[in-house]
Amino acid sequence: MNLWLIPIFPLLGSAINGVFGRRLPKQVVNLVAVGSVLLSFLWVLKTLSAAWPLESAVKESYFTWIQSGNLQIGCDLMVDRLTAVMLLVVTGVGALIHIYAIGYMAHEGGYYRFFSYLNLFMFFMLVLVLGANFLLLFVGWEGVGLCSYLLIGFYFLEKFAGDAGKKAFIVNRIGDFGFSLAMFLIFVNFGTLDFGRVFTSAKSMTPEAGVGVITVICLLLMVGAAGKSAQLPLYVWLPDAMAGPTPVSALIHAATMVTAGVYMVTRSAALFHLAPVAMNVVAIIGLATAFFAATIGLVQNDIKKVYAYSTVSQLGYMFLGCGAGAFSAGIFHVMTHAFFKALLFLGAGSVIHACAGEQDLRYMGGLRKYTPITMITLLCASVAIAGVPPFSGFFSKDEILAAAYEHAPWMYWVGVFTAGMTAFYVFRAFFLAFAGQYRGPNPHAAGHGHGDDHGHGHGKPHESPLVMTVPLMILAIGSLAGGFINIPKWLEPMYPLAEGPENHMLVYISVAAGLIGIAIAFFLYVVKPSLAESLASALSGPYKLLYNKYFVDEVYDATIVHPLEEGSRTVLWRGVDAGVIDGTVNGVGARARGMGNVLRLLQGGNIGGYAAWVVLGSLLVILYVGLGVGR
Amino acid sequence: MLDAVFFYTFALMTLTGAVLTITRKSAVHSAIWLIVSLLGVAGLYLLQQAEFLFAVQIVLYIGGIMVLFLFVIMLVNLDEAAKQRQFNNQRWIALGCAVIVGAEILYVLAKGTASLSLPAPAAAPAAGGNTEQIAVSLFRDYLLPFEAASLLLLAAIVGSVIMAKRRA
Amino acid sequence: MPLANFIPTADDYLRYLPEIILTVVGVVIMFLEAVGGERRKPALGWLAGAGLLAAIWGSVVALGVGGTGFQNMVIVDGFATFFRILVLVIGLLTIVSSTQYLDREKANAGEFHALLLFSIAGQCVMASANELIMVFIGLEISSIASYILAGYLRDDRRNNESALKYFLLGSFATAFLLYGVAWVYGLTGSTNLAEVRRVLMTPESAPNLVLMGTAAALMFVGFAFKVSAAPFQVWAPDVYQGAPAPVSAFMSTGPKAAAFAVFLRVFITAFGPIATRWEPFVWGSAIATMIVGNFAALTQTNIKRLLAYSSIAHAGYVLVAVTAHSEIGTAAAMFYLAAYAFMQIGAFAVVTWFSRQGEKFVNVDDLAGLGERQPMVAAMLTIFLLSLIGVPLTGGFFGKFYIFRAALDSNLVWLTVIGLLNSAVAAYYYLRLIVVMYMKEPGAATENIGPVSAGLRVAILGSALATLVLGIFPSLVLDFAGRSAALVK
Repeated sequence: MNLWLIPIFPLLGSAINGVFGRRLPKQVVNLVAVGSVLLSFLWVLKTLSAAWPLESAVKESYFTWIQSGNLQIGCDLMVDRLTAVMLLVVTGVGALIHIYAIGYMAHEGGYYRFFSYLNLFMFFMLVLVLGANFLLLFVGWEGVGLCSYLLIGFYFLEKFAGDAGKKAFIVNRIGDFGFSLAMFLIFVNFGTLDFGRVFTSAKSMTPEAGVGVITVICLLLMVGAAGKSAQLPLYVWLPDAMAGPTPVSALIHAATMVTAGVYMVTRSAALFHLAPVAMNVVAIIGLATAFFAATIGLVQNDIKKVYAYSTVSQLGYMFLGCGAGAFSAGIFHVMTHAFFKALLFLGAGSVIHACAGEQDLRYMGGLRKYTPITMITLLCASVAIAGVPPFSGFFSKDEILAAAYEHAPWMYWVGVFTAGMTAFYVFRAFFLAFAGQYRGPNPHAAGHGHGDDHGHGHGKPHESPLVMTVPLMILAIGSLAGGFINIPKWLEPMYPLAEGPENHMLVYISVAAGLIGIAIAFFLYVVKPSLAESLASALSGPYKLLYNKYFVDEVYDATIVHPLEEGSRTVLWRGVDAGVIDGTVNGVGARARGMGNVLRLLQGGNIGGYAAWVVLGSLLVILYVGLGVGR
Repeated sequence: MLDAVFFYTFALMTLTGAVLTITRKSAVHSAIWLIVSLLGVAGLYLLQQAEFLFAVQIVLYIGGIMVLFLFVIMLVNLDEAAKQRQFNNQRWIALGCAVIVGAEILYVLAKGTASLSLPAPAAAPAAGGNTEQIAVSLFRDYLLPFEAASLLLLAAIVGSVIMAKRRA
Repeated sequence: MPLANFIPTADDYLRYLPEIILTVVGVVIMFLEAVGGERRKPALGWLAGAGLLAAIWGSVVALGVGGTGFQNMVIVDGFATFFRILVLVIGLLTIVSSTQYLDREKANAGEFHALLLFSIAGQCVMASANELIMVFIGLEISSIASYILAGYLRDDRRNNESALKYFLLGSFATAFLLYGVAWVYGLTGSTNLAEVRRVLMTPESAPNLVLMGTAAALMFVGFAFKVSAAPFQVWAPDVYQGAPAPVSAFMSTGPKAAAFAVFLRVFITAFGPIATRWEPFVWGSAIATMIVGNFAALTQTNIKRLLAYSSIAHAGYVLVAVTAHSEIGTAAAMFYLAAYAFMQIGAFAVVTWFSRQGEKFVNVDDLAGLGERQPMVAAMLTIFLLSLIGVPLTGGFFGKFYIFRAALDSNLVWLTVIGLLNSAVAAYYYLRLIVVMYMKEPGAATENIGPVSAGLRVAILGSALATLVLGIFPSLVLDFAGRSAALVK
């Protein structure tokens, strides 16, 4: 079926744009970038229709990738029902975002470089999803990470973009360390890294057999997932990652890459089933992240920050689903979230574009007059995320919350409360942007936004071009109707659904929570805008705490980063390095260099001397052979 | 017996000529000693009944190539070269090394000859000499090295042209 | 004897196709150089590149009719094809990376390209030689052309010195090789590798082991010189430093790879039966080479010289694989030479670009601030240096990994330990370059640095890509090397 074609198209696109892009006209760059992703999308469709109904996994082995001792790893790609969902999301949403980016990045420098990175990202993401063993998944995992740092730091001339890239890199290293340890343990225990073989032998295990090791493996996998998918306590990089261009935020930091952790956990479900403790940890981390990030989202003023924390929070939901045993619900939410979160970010991008780079909600307002399409599409996304039936977010969130109730009722209640907050902050952002009067600066002042400084501060806010709004509309349809694609049913052969009567009461409660959230937002920001201000000043303590994101960055700085820096400066550098290591190394180094100097004497530059060396060498060699006579 | 006398005579001629070629200060003298050395080699060929090789050695090396050598030598500035120091202080080390290598090889040979199984002497060539055999060797068995050697010479010629050409 | 006996078969020609193509294209370039105007000069580079591509195609065709040809003079097998293609690719990279240099130094391009093709043709002959005479002729074609390339800029004093040293010492070492060939012929009655092996394997006719060992030792001197193994490495730093940078890149990869190819073929095919005689001195030479190369590199301030010493050290690692004297050892050596070729050429390509006209800037400290001024080039150089160190995900890592594993499989524990210690020492001087690039303030050398020409960009990016591909998908090359490593059929 030539699965390899799926990732290879974007790779080619990336290569072409990366090497020749500087000289190619923009239209060609666009064509290559978008065309490659579309081709790959079409190939996904063709593959799936050929393999329909995909009851068992289709695996293709290309060559032995690494062979060393009993470690044998093939370059194998695989498609099963789980992969199919991820493939459609990645290529479908990816293609839309590529199209949108044509309009969004039209005025940016390094245009071809941007698309080259973006295509490269698609390649790695597809490798991640298609890989049939842990190592190949890890290659994709690291690759998407790399592209993410490159794209976060895309505006590398601005210091904070570079810093944000660095932060993402470092935090992800912690997660990757966990993931690599998990891989070592899997190899030691199962003797292979191939998904099929690992999970088959895992399924034949009794829960007691390898409980200790399997639990450790699962926890380490979760560490990896927490890094990539921005879960507590490793979530700090994601909000800063919004320094990258908005299409990047939509594609990488909302729709696809950050869900890689969820995918990985779901893929390893067979292992997690053996480790109830780890499952519980996953659920609790997910829930805590969902709640925690939602509270921060309540008070942010930067529109992208709001959505960023919302992403962290929604990712938490997905892990809650996985941890509660409803892996298919987690993947369901991955899909619906890809629609509405990509739409939220792209919509935000359109708003930012309209306001000439402004990202602060306090300087927006009244945009409904100027950007009607953006407003309607953003409304679709907002109702979807708020869990209003019958839109997509409602179905997936409902599945997760139902599973959480089965797992532990208190988790359900926290989840419902979080859902209410979600509805509130999303609509708060929506109302602040579109309702009321335009609070922006004098139209003639240049945009002074930080991240996406377009620098073309022209007049009034304006609607975005068609190339941007069409993807918005398509995503809007997905956000509204995506819930009717019954992913849990589709995944049932792989992840059996929990038996049990449907508890309609739970559904009503969560819907009510969402509606109440919306209502409060409407009241505070449309009906009585002044009330919000006074509420904030009345509750200034909690407000400040939330606004400053619980001071987590500062705490990390004070407890980890600063002591590390200080420690490495004083202890490691002055003490250990300068004293102990330098002492030894200088000793060794001096000796080595002394030896180097002796060797240099051989190198007099005199050709006769050189010839003498050659003779001397042959003398030694022949002497050796000659003396071996007796033997 | 007579063969042995001739062999040692020609061998001595070859070696003496070679040593004197590199020790003479004057380039012309060196060239002439080289001719002596090559003549010795030609004699050795004759001794082994390789008349064709003998003739080629005389005609090509001594007749053709050496004359060319002498021409070149007379064209370059000999006085300058004669004034240069020919050996430096390392000559004794080099000589020592060379002597030791030679001694080693002699030692090895002395140890090993006893066990050497020498093949029986080849049958005397048929009348008409061995020219035809050389042809078979050169144009059939060793055709490829023979042709490849022309590439070697071509590269050498290109090189000497580059080295000699003045920059435009 | 009928005339038909003298005419080689069509398959014979096909087996020799790459060499034929290279020779013809080289001669055509010489011809066009003479008749074409100044304006056409750049086209000659394209022609040479096309010739190399055609020769790569020719190598594949030749493999299709593999076997021995021309009365057992050449042998076309996977091993030969591997090295033919390797030297041809090295040639391609050399051509693209020399365009800017030749323009800058206002040097004549035609002869350069012709000589390069001749040299590569010689290396292809070496790779496919099945006969000591072919080995010798191939070696000489390759060497003579490289002597001239080393001194290609006639008016440059350092170029002249470099060429003269290389020529005199090279001829000297070749004399040893030739003397060894004469011994082999005298002792076994043949110069054919398979025949020599057969004689050595037959107990009745086998010559004295001491004499045969000496013959091997004499040939070793010649090969060791060509691969710059200690104690015959003295020429390398002076020659690589003095020669034009693209030529240094070529000389430290192409001839070296080809010399290792014949080294492996002669010692494993022909001298395989007397391995106990030659293994010990190859072992000693491997250790000496690694130590001399790495420790001398520590004190170098000139980048070209540093790379020269590093090239010596890398020859030492390959000698470790030769000492292992096994199929996986041979495969490891093949893989290593391929990986090494790309990182070395890449590093030299950066130096070519960086040094500017007259090679003004070739000191380590000149690189200061390159990471800031030219982040892309600095990143590429970093890849090459990391690969030279042997960091995972680069070709250098798997190269070292396979070599040391082969050595361990052959119970060469001490050699492996010394090799690993040496790799640690090596990290020091490579990392120093990276530190200078990224942590020092930009100096005069990085001011007003010109753009990287298209040719050099292709060379640098291509080498970097190859280095990474070999580091991530080693099997692509290793599988082929493993299948071709059986030299003794």
